[in-house]
Amino acid sequence: MSEIINENINAGSENTEKYPEVIGVKNLIKTYANGAIEVQALKGINLTIRQSEFVAIMGTSGSGKSTLMNILGCLDKPTEGEYRLTGIDIREKSDDELSYIRNQQIGFVFQSFNLIPRTSALKNVELPMVYGKVAADKRRARALELLESVGLGERYEHMPNELSGGQRQRVAIARALANDPPIILADEPTGNLDSRSSVEIMEIFTQLNREKGNTVIIVTHEPDIAEFTDRVVVFKDGQIIEDKLTEKGRSSGKEVYKCFL
Amino acid sequence: MLLIENIKLAVNAIKINKMRSFLTMLGIIIGISSVIAISSIGASAQKAVEEQFNGVGAGYVYLMPNWYTLDTMTSDMMFTMDDIEALEERFPNDIKYAAPYAYSSCETQVGRTDATLSMMGVNAHYNEFATQIQIVYGRMVNERDVEGSLNSIVIPIEAAKRLYGKENAVGETLPAEAFGSSTDFTIVGVYDIPPSIFNSLDTSTRYTCYVPYSSMMRSDEYFDNLELYVDEDKDVAQTAETICRYLERIKRLDEDTYIYQSAEDQLVAINQVLGYLSLAIGAIAAISLLVGGIGIMNIMLVSVTERTREIGIRKSLGARTKDILTQFLIEAMILAVIGGIIGTALGIGVAALGTSVAGTPLALNMQSILLAVAFSAGVGLCFGFFPARKAARLDPIEALRYE
Repeated sequence: MSEIINENINAGSENTEKYPEVIGVKNLIKTYANGAIEVQALKGINLTIRQSEFVAIMGTSGSGKSTLMNILGCLDKPTEGEYRLTGIDIREKSDDELSYIRNQQIGFVFQSFNLIPRTSALKNVELPMVYGKVAADKRRARALELLESVGLGERYEHMPNELSGGQRQRVAIARALANDPPIILADEPTGNLDSRSSVEIMEIFTQLNREKGNTVIIVTHEPDIAEFTDRVVVFKDGQIIEDKLTEKGRSSGKEVYKCFL
Repeated sequence: MLLIENIKLAVNAIKINKMRSFLTMLGIIIGISSVIAISSIGASAQKAVEEQFNGVGAGYVYLMPNWYTLDTMTSDMMFTMDDIEALEERFPNDIKYAAPYAYSSCETQVGRTDATLSMMGVNAHYNEFATQIQIVYGRMVNERDVEGSLNSIVIPIEAAKRLYGKENAVGETLPAEAFGSSTDFTIVGVYDIPPSIFNSLDTSTRYTCYVPYSSMMRSDEYFDNLELYVDEDKDVAQTAETICRYLERIKRLDEDTYIYQSAEDQLVAINQVLGYLSLAIGAIAAISLLVGGIGIMNIMLVSVTERTREIGIRKSLGARTKDILTQFLIEAMILAVIGGIIGTALGIGVAALGTSVAGTPLALNMQSILLAVAFSAGVGLCFGFFPARKAARLDPIEALRYE
């Protein structure tokens, strides 16, 4: 079923120009050697995600969604198949080149926030820019601006342990946006949050997607979180079993989804 | 990543674990401080020895028959006043001072105070060569004392204070007893010796006094040692050699009957001993630095394990292998260098304490201080490398999953 949709998307040549492919996965296989036994975590995935899409990847644990997430985030390489990130074939890239791609192209948001402990919110947000070699004064100005935009303008000097879960996740989102990457990859971003904070965080993602045009990909197992997105890709046993637009996606009026309809 | 960022990071990490960082540095601190302390004390001692020898006089030569190799000892091997005259005639420019070496120990009692005196027989103007003798009252033994075999004596200021209760004891009479007979000496001068490592370590109550050599011996008496001061601007050893050979020739003795010791020879010998000492202590210090380095490596390994998740986060945010490597290397180096600096300060403190107890000025060995700090940075670099490489090689996925 997924293949049919993807073919449809690829068929629209007009679409290809206007909404370039940011993620292009073809026949992707990932196997892990677990002792003598080879475990196939991903069994030939095909997935295309275009610019300014808002996608949820769903599935139970062990379905392969985390494995795909790691590959999409350039933290891992596929065993077989092709992965193009904003047109770059990552199979040929060295570890340091992948670091640079992560730094410039991807903003990570994790379930457990993953802020650097005992380091202020400001310094955490500055970090990707440090590795991106942005000058110190520019870094600081940009970090303050980002913290302001997620509603933490006054708490920039707070340490992570002085912030609530929702606030920490907002710092993490600000950090993910530091180098203005086209893609935001969020792995269970609301997994450790209460429902009110979860809604706040999802609203920030929605806003980012709608207003700034970032491609947002969210891995989740909660259907109500997936409802915030436009498109849901469901995994089971290392394969995509469902790929459809949500109610929100259908009513979004985004041109990128025209071919789905 | 930028160097300044790394240094800030490292300082921050060290601040967060103050106690642990301090304990980690301890090995380096102990190693470096012992190197600095010992090398500074050694340098001070060496300087003191050199000053002492300058006080004795660089041109000092002590002549004696070579008792170690001579089979028989005959009286013609010994020196006479004629020999001194002959030498002074033959080498008028080279020999500045010549006197028989005359020494005796005697007892004295002034009122109810008694003391032991070491009497040194000297020629006139001895203090012009033995410059550590500083006359504070009166004068030194002069030509008239020597020619007239007068019982004049120059005593140290401590003896004056002890025996007469005053510093200026010039004109007082000092009875000296030796071998049952007593001679009255007249004090013509009081001298002082600037503090040095030797006289401060010498706690005996024996007082060194100077008298005309002629008052201690008859003019036709033989003596077995000869004290000379030769021109120190020329080769002292060469001059001493020539003098020995000349004496053998005029006294018709075999070659190598006489040998000499010079201040220079002794300085070289002492410096050699001090050199060996420094080397031995340097080796011990190197071992303690090695242990300190292992301590740093151990803590850095713990730190890398503890911060596995942080490393994972940094990598996911775009840190390259090199960035993580530099971060941890710099942290190890800063730990070691701070340890090195504290150690240096501590070492200088210990050296200052040690030299002030010994009463000598502190001579800092700048070269060894710089070397110690550079070496501690090197220790940090070497022992930090393995943990840093371990950190840099972590797989970001594994590291992010680490609890």
